[in-house]
Amino acid sequence: MGIDVHLFLLGVSHRTAPVDLRERLDFSSRDVGAAVEALAARSSAAESVVLSTCNRSEIYLGTADPTRVRDEVVAFLSEYHELAREVFLPHIFTYDDAAAAHHLFRVAAGLDSLVVGEPQILGQVKDAFQVASGRHCTGPLLNKTFHSAFGVGKRVRTETALGEGAVSVSFAAVALARKIFGRLDGRRVLVVGAGEISALTAQHLRSHGVAEIVITSRTGAHADALAAEVGGRAVPWSEMGAAIARADIVVTATGSQRPIITRAHVEAATGRKRVDPLFLIDIAVPRDVDPGVADIEQVFLYNVDDLQNIVQENLARRGAEIARAEAIVGEELARFTAWQRSRRAIPTVVALRQRFDEIRRAELRRLDARLAGLPPEVRARVDEVTRLLVEKLLLEPTEQLKALPDEETQAIYTEAVNRLFRLSESSDETAGEPDPLPTDRSRPE
Amino acid sequence: MNVLPLILYAAAGLAYAVHFARRAPQAGRLATTLLVFAALSHTFVIGMQTMEVRHVPFANASSATSTFVWLLALSYLYLELTTDERAMGVCIVPLLVGLQTIPVVSPGVERIDPVFESPWFWVHVSSLLFAYASFALAGVLGLTYVVQFKEIKKKHLGYFYTRLPSLQTLDVMNERAVAVGWLFLTVGVVVGAIWTGQARAAAPDDPNLQAMALNDPKIFVAVLTWAVYSFAMVARRAMGWSGRRAAWLSAVGFAIVLLNFLPINYFVTTSHTF
Repeated sequence: MGIDVHLFLLGVSHRTAPVDLRERLDFSSRDVGAAVEALAARSSAAESVVLSTCNRSEIYLGTADPTRVRDEVVAFLSEYHELAREVFLPHIFTYDDAAAAHHLFRVAAGLDSLVVGEPQILGQVKDAFQVASGRHCTGPLLNKTFHSAFGVGKRVRTETALGEGAVSVSFAAVALARKIFGRLDGRRVLVVGAGEISALTAQHLRSHGVAEIVITSRTGAHADALAAEVGGRAVPWSEMGAAIARADIVVTATGSQRPIITRAHVEAATGRKRVDPLFLIDIAVPRDVDPGVADIEQVFLYNVDDLQNIVQENLARRGAEIARAEAIVGEELARFTAWQRSRRAIPTVVALRQRFDEIRRAELRRLDARLAGLPPEVRARVDEVTRLLVEKLLLEPTEQLKALPDEETQAIYTEAVNRLFRLSESSDETAGEPDPLPTDRSRPE
Repeated sequence: MNVLPLILYAAAGLAYAVHFARRAPQAGRLATTLLVFAALSHTFVIGMQTMEVRHVPFANASSATSTFVWLLALSYLYLELTTDERAMGVCIVPLLVGLQTIPVVSPGVERIDPVFESPWFWVHVSSLLFAYASFALAGVLGLTYVVQFKEIKKKHLGYFYTRLPSLQTLDVMNERAVAVGWLFLTVGVVVGAIWTGQARAAAPDDPNLQAMALNDPKIFVAVLTWAVYSFAMVARRAMGWSGRRAAWLSAVGFAIVLLNFLPINYFVTTSHTF
């Protein structure tokens, strides 16, 4: 019947497993869809989703028998990744029901991420669910769980500042550029010195649609290599002055011991007719740009310490938002568990309805002889009225059973209802009943 | 009658403040909705007055202020809806509330005079009011630019940094507002001069008309305003005076406009005693 299905989660994450083990248990580099299908075939669970990112591999299941499924999944992981179970068993974590939902909600909110509040994870959770539901591996329980998780992610994003503010130097630089120039498309970038951070910054700028990336380096070959990597153009070192004059954003990261961009360079570049600001991002240590440059009108100069400060402030601000995000997770979890409880009430509700309908049919059969003389439409009406009567009588008890506050109360009520209406016996009596009450008729019109 | 728009402007101002402080999108949408309703009700009020006195009501300082507020609200709404930037509302709407209080507190008597039915007069005053509304926007944009510029330049990325639009956006909006304002100011002044010439011939005894010359404070300040904004536009192109300098210029320009609009209107002018 699928009613008494439990949510079960088994996984590894950056909190429990070192990176080399996570890599070996990773699904995302191969076909995740195939993995979900293989898992669904291998285990007795009715529903499965595989969430795999570089920081976590988590398997969400809907199953009537979590203990059995746990062993099946461990066996599956071992076979699928060709890994002895002793290697990963100490690093896995498992959660049941509300705890599993709580974990997924925190993941979707970005609370469980390596960098708290990072925005990609919500998309990854959505993708994982899409892949599984596209292969018909999900059912009512995981559908509800994941859609609730999407809701949590969305609420945290719109109602808190958890994901706000850049938390890496290169993103902080891009965020600043956007506060100066607005949209970056059409802007020209000059990269001085071909290092790792300058490559990263250039790539971020490229993804924001800058028109041109020019690269210059004392070693021409390095400039050529970086130009090829980020889709830019290399110019000789001697043309740096002219390149600054053309640029809107200059990123410098050379190993020079003395400043290579002087006040004179920048004053020449920001001559009388220059209308647009010039943004200098100096990520070199020691600094590449003469600090006096910052005094020139329309010039913004940020060095690596300034950017680090921004990152630190943003991290602190995110930290302050964690409590608000956790509160949202808590609220949504309460709604989710209420839903789950109402689902648990369904067998009792269905049995109750069957019992009442049996009585109704039995009474109609008993009256059959006396009703025989009536025209067919009147007989149909009698049938209809009795059915409506049963519906009306059961409406309030159904709602009450679904809204019970906790499992203990639920057990007491279920027991009481079973006894009052002898529900457990009725199922034996009606084993041969051909036409039980259809479930989609569970509400009166 | 001016009270209803005032209340709605005040409510919108409150919503803009909440939106700015909390960065809540719902508050922002509420603010815009309230402002749209305020502008609509204000349109209705001005329409009623127009029907009553048979010209757009701006022949006394109070009704001119009311019409100015209405034009500023419309211009701001245009700016907001075309750029999707709501952060400026927190500066503009309180200005609307403050100015709209004047016609509510002292309504003044709208003069009915055949001289005001001349189309020249109508073009003159509405052009100038619209120009001033644009300059008001430019002035606020300029001040905002200066605040944002300071935060980025001094590397204090604080309260305003996250809330205000980018420098480039502010600069472009400022440039457009100044250009539109300058155009209407020019039209207003030229038409005013033509109309004065005609009216003088028609009514040689009117003391108001005889006093209309450059040595009248109101006319003098208007011409000064024109000079400031002309300089701002030329300097931007020829001398690279964009960004912070342009921002300051538009703020100074608007200060002069306000000076012309309020104290000079009420106390000093000899010719524009409407």
